[in-house]
Amino acid sequence: MTANSRGNEPTPTAFDAIVVGAGPAGTTAALALAQAGKRVLLLERGEYPGSKNMFGGMVAWCPAPEELLPGFWARAPWERAVTKRVLSLVGPGSTTSLVFQAAAEAEAPSVGAGWSSDRSLTGLTLFRPHFDRWYAEQAVAHGVTLLNGCRVEGLVKKGDRVVGVRVAGPDDVVEAPLVIVCDGVLSLLAAEAGLHPGVKAEQVALGVRALYLLGEEEVASRFGLVGREGATQEFLGCTENVRGGGFIYTQTETLAVGLVLHLDAVKARGLAPYELLERFVASPAVAPLLRGARLVEYSAHLLPEAGRRMVPRLETEGLLVAGDAAGFCYTNGLTQEGMNLAMTSGLLAGRVAAQALAAGEVTVRSLSRYRKALEESFVLRDLRTYQKAIDFLHHDRLFTVYPRVISRLLEDIYRSDGRPKARIGRLARRVFKGELSAWQLAADVFKIGRAFL
Amino acid sequence: MIVDDLFDLVSYRVHPEPHIRLERERCQGCSHRACTFACPARCYTYSEEREQVDFAYEACLECGTCLLVCDRGALSWGYPAGGYGVRFRLT
Repeated sequence: MTANSRGNEPTPTAFDAIVVGAGPAGTTAALALAQAGKRVLLLERGEYPGSKNMFGGMVAWCPAPEELLPGFWARAPWERAVTKRVLSLVGPGSTTSLVFQAAAEAEAPSVGAGWSSDRSLTGLTLFRPHFDRWYAEQAVAHGVTLLNGCRVEGLVKKGDRVVGVRVAGPDDVVEAPLVIVCDGVLSLLAAEAGLHPGVKAEQVALGVRALYLLGEEEVASRFGLVGREGATQEFLGCTENVRGGGFIYTQTETLAVGLVLHLDAVKARGLAPYELLERFVASPAVAPLLRGARLVEYSAHLLPEAGRRMVPRLETEGLLVAGDAAGFCYTNGLTQEGMNLAMTSGLLAGRVAAQALAAGEVTVRSLSRYRKALEESFVLRDLRTYQKAIDFLHHDRLFTVYPRVISRLLEDIYRSDGRPKARIGRLARRVFKGELSAWQLAADVFKIGRAFL
Repeated sequence: MIVDDLFDLVSYRVHPEPHIRLERERCQGCSHRACTFACPARCYTYSEEREQVDFAYEACLECGTCLLVCDRGALSWGYPAGGYGVRFRLT
């Protein structure tokens, strides 16, 4: 094993399964296997699970981990329970927002104020260095062997079958009948296994995030929150001519503020992400929310953004893929989901793997039940449902022309300058003129209809 | 916020060996040099005098942007050795 590895020194064949990556997908898969009585080795390249993770967002409430650890979400370390979601269209002279607010319970038992009485409407903001570490500790308590600081260098194959992983030098090998790769968005191991040809720039978005320390009371008062209530705000029209959007997520005493930019658009436009971020935090829609806050951290990461189009083959002899590594992350323009897909895919991978191991048949045929289970679950069904929406979000006008014309139209509607007002239809024609032809508008309305209706 | 402040706030345990290597012969003549602006950690800079892209791995955020924007296959790309590289502290 590597010089800096910690914990038990595993000997070859001591494990029924190896899980690569102790994020939400990997830890869920490892825990499901351990609960089925399997000996599992969970490998993490960071100093501890979550130490490599910059996630500053919100996980949609997800039943998968509750199936393994009842009361999971009441115990897991999260920051705020999000019941308020704001979508803002940023124009040059104004910002137009839509605010969703789920009815909140004053005192939800065992959790605290802020949860919606319908918990499926509650998302949770969290810090992954806390969450992943805690989750992996639960898995260890259920018998998973966790090895931190261990980078997997590649797969070990016998013929077409994956039989283990290489961990440091060419002679350092850990073998097991089954490997589950949860190695994140680039998924170098799934590519090595021949399950996908490598991730492309047009399939991902680049997220850049600044973390601001503001204090618990200020966060609550600026976003109108009580107790542990949280809010998220998404922005369209704030990324100049790069396809993408902005976000603010509230944690207990901090705000995660950032941009998510389609990487192919960043490349084509030649704009640096941190310069766009600098202008975003200084913009009139954002600056007042950050007044007096102290910048404490910066980070960046890639997100899978192509929906089903980037989902690889999910199994080969002796191997399964879950989480971001399988492309299970998407936005349809209103919701952003990834961690819930990761945990659910990890649960299904762990269960199918345990069955296959119990039957002594770790073949493509037995492992293909994993894809079937995903097809029946919300994971692949939601990616299918929103595929046209995901594709539509690669449409430049959505990020430039529409936020601008909608802002101008509302400015004209609200404007009072002592002159007679025109009918709204006429104002709309005036703002659209020069921005968009009637034909383009009709084509976009058709596409939006096809994408969402 | 000024851009330069951002980069000072990231914490690393830097390994003595670079985890990404740039093969300069391959990137000569690249028309876009997207790595120099797309990399969110500013690891790639273009030197006008030497007419080449310079690369420093120490500030890498391990995101993979450079790997995906390079269309000349000029990078041998990997993650830092276990326990090394960027680490997100908590405040």
